[in-house]
Amino acid sequence: MWSYAFRRVLMTIPTLLLVITVCYLMLHATPGGPFDSERKISAAVMANLQAKYHLDLPLWQQYLYYLKSLLQGDLGASFRYADWSVNDLVANALPISALIGGTALLLSVVIGIVLGTIAALRQNSLIDYFVMLIGNLGSAFPSFVIGPVLILVFAIWLAWLPAGGWNDYQVHYMVLPIALLTFINVSTIGRVMRGSLIEVMNSNFIRTAKAKGLPMRTIVMRHALKPALMPVISVVGPIAISTITGAVVTESVFSLPGLGKLIINGASNRDYTLVLGLVVLVTVVAVLINLLVDLCYALLDPKIRY
Amino acid sequence: MKKNMSFSVLAASVVLAMGANAAFAAKVPAGVQLAAKQELTRNNGSEPESLDPALAESVGANNIARDLFEALTAADNDGRIVPGLAESWKQTDPTTWVFTLRKNAKWSDGVQVTADDVVYGIRRFLDPKTASPYASTYGAFLLNGVEAAEGKKALTDIGIKAVDKLTVEVKTPYPVAFLPEVMSNNQLGPAPRHAIEKHGKDWTKPGKLVGNGAFVLKDWAVNSKIVIEKNPQYWDAKAVVLSKVTYLPIEDGFADVKLYQSGENDWVYQLPPGTYEKYKAELPKDVRNSPMLGLRYYSLNAKDPVMKDKRVRQALSMVIDRDILAAKITADGQSPAYSVVVKGTAGADATTYDWAKWPMEQRVAEAKKLLAAAGLQAGSKIKFTYNTSEYHKKMAIFAASEWKTKLGLNTELENMEFKVLLKKRHDGEYQIARNGWVADYNDATTFLTLVQCGSDQNDNGNCNPKAEELIKQGNQAKDAAKRKQLLTQATKMIMDDYPIIPLLSYTTPRLVKPYVGGYTGKNSLDRYRNKDLYIIKH
Repeated sequence: MWSYAFRRVLMTIPTLLLVITVCYLMLHATPGGPFDSERKISAAVMANLQAKYHLDLPLWQQYLYYLKSLLQGDLGASFRYADWSVNDLVANALPISALIGGTALLLSVVIGIVLGTIAALRQNSLIDYFVMLIGNLGSAFPSFVIGPVLILVFAIWLAWLPAGGWNDYQVHYMVLPIALLTFINVSTIGRVMRGSLIEVMNSNFIRTAKAKGLPMRTIVMRHALKPALMPVISVVGPIAISTITGAVVTESVFSLPGLGKLIINGASNRDYTLVLGLVVLVTVVAVLINLLVDLCYALLDPKIRY
Repeated sequence: MKKNMSFSVLAASVVLAMGANAAFAAKVPAGVQLAAKQELTRNNGSEPESLDPALAESVGANNIARDLFEALTAADNDGRIVPGLAESWKQTDPTTWVFTLRKNAKWSDGVQVTADDVVYGIRRFLDPKTASPYASTYGAFLLNGVEAAEGKKALTDIGIKAVDKLTVEVKTPYPVAFLPEVMSNNQLGPAPRHAIEKHGKDWTKPGKLVGNGAFVLKDWAVNSKIVIEKNPQYWDAKAVVLSKVTYLPIEDGFADVKLYQSGENDWVYQLPPGTYEKYKAELPKDVRNSPMLGLRYYSLNAKDPVMKDKRVRQALSMVIDRDILAAKITADGQSPAYSVVVKGTAGADATTYDWAKWPMEQRVAEAKKLLAAAGLQAGSKIKFTYNTSEYHKKMAIFAASEWKTKLGLNTELENMEFKVLLKKRHDGEYQIARNGWVADYNDATTFLTLVQCGSDQNDNGNCNPKAEELIKQGNQAKDAAKRKQLLTQATKMIMDDYPIIPLLSYTTPRLVKPYVGGYTGKNSLDRYRNKDLYIIKH
């Protein structure tokens, strides 16, 4: 299994190269450049600006220049945030996004699995309806609707928590964004867990276990839970990537200085280096999370061997 | 005797109180009680692209630069030009100005600010290596400024000289009567050579940034906040009331308002579209909306086969009812505009069209005649390009409906991302396009650049050589009244060519807590220095 993991990590390199190349070409093919603004810059000053950021070189030379810096761990200078390097920007934003996203992910996996399990075992009971209601609400209402409602209730009406912003990792600034992300993710994880467990509970091997007279707790904990978790793991992968590497809408609603904000500003300002830097980061995180998911499959299903 | 004595005690206390106020802050009106905690949180609308005054381009970055640095002159909260780093100035000949610096002006590290710092700051700003986006805009007011920015002349050829330690001489390429206004921009101010050379490109970071403004940089968390604190080294520190200001970079108008409602923000940068009337009713004391020198307009591409006909351009402009647009569509207090020069701008009058006073039926009848003469029939198609935004969409739909119902023209609305629109507009790849401009300084020439021959800011491709000549004559004129007359005449001439459709002049609809003092609503460039603000006891 370790050699498999090592091979997978090695595969990151060609994946990254491909992603960077495609992204690089797409960015440069998009109309409008980093220095186009309402105030048109004279041709001579534009030439100065382009020279400053090496944008006057042929595209392939810029590309090689970028790859060279990347190999040295330098993600380049940002155009939009001229006083900061992309490394600085990512180093500031990543811990915030990772902390909020990671906490929300952990909470939603635990709560989602617990609620989904209870709902599946008490099918058509009140608790089942409650879990389904949460699931449907979370799916039906987008985060840009739920977020402002949370702010209205908890920040403006009750005045318990701040309406947004960020203050040096103070916990009360994190509560609402984490709650929103958890709610959205629980709705998905809970629904998938419920459906999957119901299906497993109706399968032959569970019927056999019941016929053998095993207690319900043993049947669920020892036999049903593991196979029921397989589809949950599949959905947790993509959820984890999007939650950790920048919950764009949540960050905007709560004015959080995380990666999502950088991605939006980078793309809309044609900040080539910032966008590429973030793409590299998201790609690495995605590859690692996908690897973790695959390793989890092997732990849960003895038929899977690497 | 007793009566007399109590009178004199009262008089003395009034004098003392006035004296205390004068020492505390010249502009806090008598009788206003100040809060014990002088801290302000104001949203700045976006994250600044840089705190380097030479590189600051956006409104937000310049707002902060005005607190951290002080140029030769400054604009107070009424928008009047007041002494800044320079305590006085005079025009010694039509193209030469001499500024005398304060003896007691210091950088925040205690080093004296000298004429050499001003020369260094301006040369650095125009240095092609700095690549400042404002280089050609403000460089145009200094002799050889643009040429130096373009690398055609040496930086030492720029019309800026340190006569002695405290005297700066500025030479302009032509008489610039409003030079003190231009020199209030921090791009043309001093730069701390000693700090820049010591820290290199990290010099704007907290702990390293050395400024000469009323505040110093305390903390900078990107996309989160910028905290500045009162600068004890500032020459006028006694008059600075606020002890701490937090700038927020929130772009989302609704998030901004929510922070305001929950008490975490004292200053909403701009109310979200469509909410002005609601908040005016709900929070009448908080809503502030004052005129600003900015213009919303549509560019008409003079190189387009249809738009090159002046009669078509005129007809399109005539039928848009600006009164309805202002009162019902944007509904945020803006005023109808008929000129490229916004009302209230110094240096030229806002012109108008005769038809602006006609009844709409007469305007429509005339417009139809013009279209018929131009050979553009009802049912013809025109294309309007704008950047994706609810606000611009509302305006575009209104314009399209005016052209459809009054002239029978079918408008294809094409929306795109902002940068794509900019590219199309700058490259002249459009027929009619949304446009807007906020004055860089209070003089008509900032707006005239939008319609002048060959100007970088002219997206319309129009050119009126006769008007150009008048502008040139006006700029050479030594007499301000004569200049104003010539520039107004030139404006009228250009507007009669219909290069653009002026629509509305800007206002700044926002929420500011009633306890924020010094927000006068009279600063028409919307440049409120925190030096002039204070927190009233509440």
